[in-house]
Amino acid sequence: MLNERPVAEKGEHIIARHLIEDDRIKEEKNLVIDGVDVSGRWNTFIETRVDSEYDRSFFEEIKKTVVGSRINRCWQCGMCTASCTVTPLYRRFNPRAFIYMMQLGNLKELKKYVDVAWRCVGCYKCSQRCPKQVNPAEMMEALALVVKKYFPEELEKKALKIDEDVKKIYEEMILGRGRLDLAKLHTGSMRKMGRSKELLGKKIERDAIFKMIKDGRAFSVLRLGTPPKWHNSKKAIDKYLKNIGTLEESL
Amino acid sequence: MENLKENQAAYYPGCALLTIDRAYNNSSKMVAKKMGIELVEIPDYNCCGIGEMKSKGCVSLYLPLRNMEIAKTKLGSKNLVMACSVCYHEFTRSIQRVREDKSMLDGVNAIFKDAGEEEYSPDGEARHILEFLYNEKGPGEVRKNTVKPLNGIKIAPYYGCLYSRPSMYTFMGKKPVMDDPEYPHFMHEFLESLGAEVIHYGNEVQCCGGRNVVQDEETSFKLCSQTLSKAKNAGADMLALICPKCAGALDVNQPKIVEKFGKDSELPVVYLTQLMALAFGFSSKEAEISDMISNPLKILKEKGF
Repeated sequence: MLNERPVAEKGEHIIARHLIEDDRIKEEKNLVIDGVDVSGRWNTFIETRVDSEYDRSFFEEIKKTVVGSRINRCWQCGMCTASCTVTPLYRRFNPRAFIYMMQLGNLKELKKYVDVAWRCVGCYKCSQRCPKQVNPAEMMEALALVVKKYFPEELEKKALKIDEDVKKIYEEMILGRGRLDLAKLHTGSMRKMGRSKELLGKKIERDAIFKMIKDGRAFSVLRLGTPPKWHNSKKAIDKYLKNIGTLEESL
Repeated sequence: MENLKENQAAYYPGCALLTIDRAYNNSSKMVAKKMGIELVEIPDYNCCGIGEMKSKGCVSLYLPLRNMEIAKTKLGSKNLVMACSVCYHEFTRSIQRVREDKSMLDGVNAIFKDAGEEEYSPDGEARHILEFLYNEKGPGEVRKNTVKPLNGIKIAPYYGCLYSRPSMYTFMGKKPVMDDPEYPHFMHEFLESLGAEVIHYGNEVQCCGGRNVVQDEETSFKLCSQTLSKAKNAGADMLALICPKCAGALDVNQPKIVEKFGKDSELPVVYLTQLMALAFGFSSKEAEISDMISNPLKILKEKGF
């Protein structure tokens, strides 16, 4: 009993533990080296990893986009991850690591995080605190572009599919008609998520909808309309997107 | 073109404020007028992109700037006032990006040209209603107009994200001062001037998850319940907002949040400008308090409004 002391979970005190594969963390519960007891958390070793599957010219592609134009400035301090709203909720969401992987063009590593990468809430705490004005919040948009171009098959998975579908609804309204109809956004998204039944079935939903019908707000959406001559803008936008020639075109 | 008079300002309402969040729109106009500035809506506005068009290159910059151009050509105003924090973010972002990068300005102007519109030159500013009223009139003017002080009401100010962050966008060209990006205080000062008791609760600039509220309500609910329960436990009677997207997450969704996280998250939510309207002598009907889903009318009635 004397030699047994509470030991941390394997590698649990490593920051961003998820970035290291489990079998590369070496820990001995009881270990004595040269007569010194280094048991438990004091003897955590990480086996060296050699990454060779990357392409340093990859980030030039990201740099050409509006959102990713400052990727070269990042010096990996980690302030973005430390400030992040999402990281405490989803530990694998790590903006610093994502930016590093994008800088290196390490697509193999990046692919492992496609399932959480879309969860950025756009709160801009990272961009506020970044000492190099990398604008990590917008770098997450660049990440979405990378995912879209290089892992299109991943977008078929459930959570990402919903995110994509909702973005399509936004796009149809904002670019197509120049204005955003919030009621249609709500009902359209619920339909895409297969939750239309809740709209009138669930009491909470029903109450809010009835309230807005009663006070007339539900109908004000109908009066929103389209800005006059918007078709000219729409044509110009389509032409721009067609000839853009960067990552942004894959959309 | 009809030029604005000295006491008028060009105003961008945005999609939410013209529909679901009409209470914020109307009360903003009411209190601005009372403080001596008439907000004049620009004609033929288009959506700012609401943060969802950023992956579309210069299109995301064109959408807000088209409205700046309308303000300039139709109303003769370089500056544009808006009440929605998301719109404000999109506008300041676009102006800043084309200012610092010539290639982006060229990209935007190529779209303007193809659309048969006048080219954009970056010389105006976007203003948020809170920052605008603070800088142009100040808390003194708020106190002067207060005829029915909010005495005895404990209010937790909630700024959210994009009103003050990131300063690389919101700070540019502001006169005389811009709010602190980490510890904003303009709303605190306004509420104090209205006679309310301001509650400090620690989540003033936390995120409500509003951006993903449609596709990821789970995250949004979690963040909102933290903010609502923190404010409630600090003794707040209600939460004051300055953004319709925050209202979507904290007010419209509140019954669902309470269902999931319990009564701790039940707290009336109201727009700052609605509270200002009440204190300036408008009735709760004029301030459209009953539009809010979280029922702030009850507590306001108890306090004599």
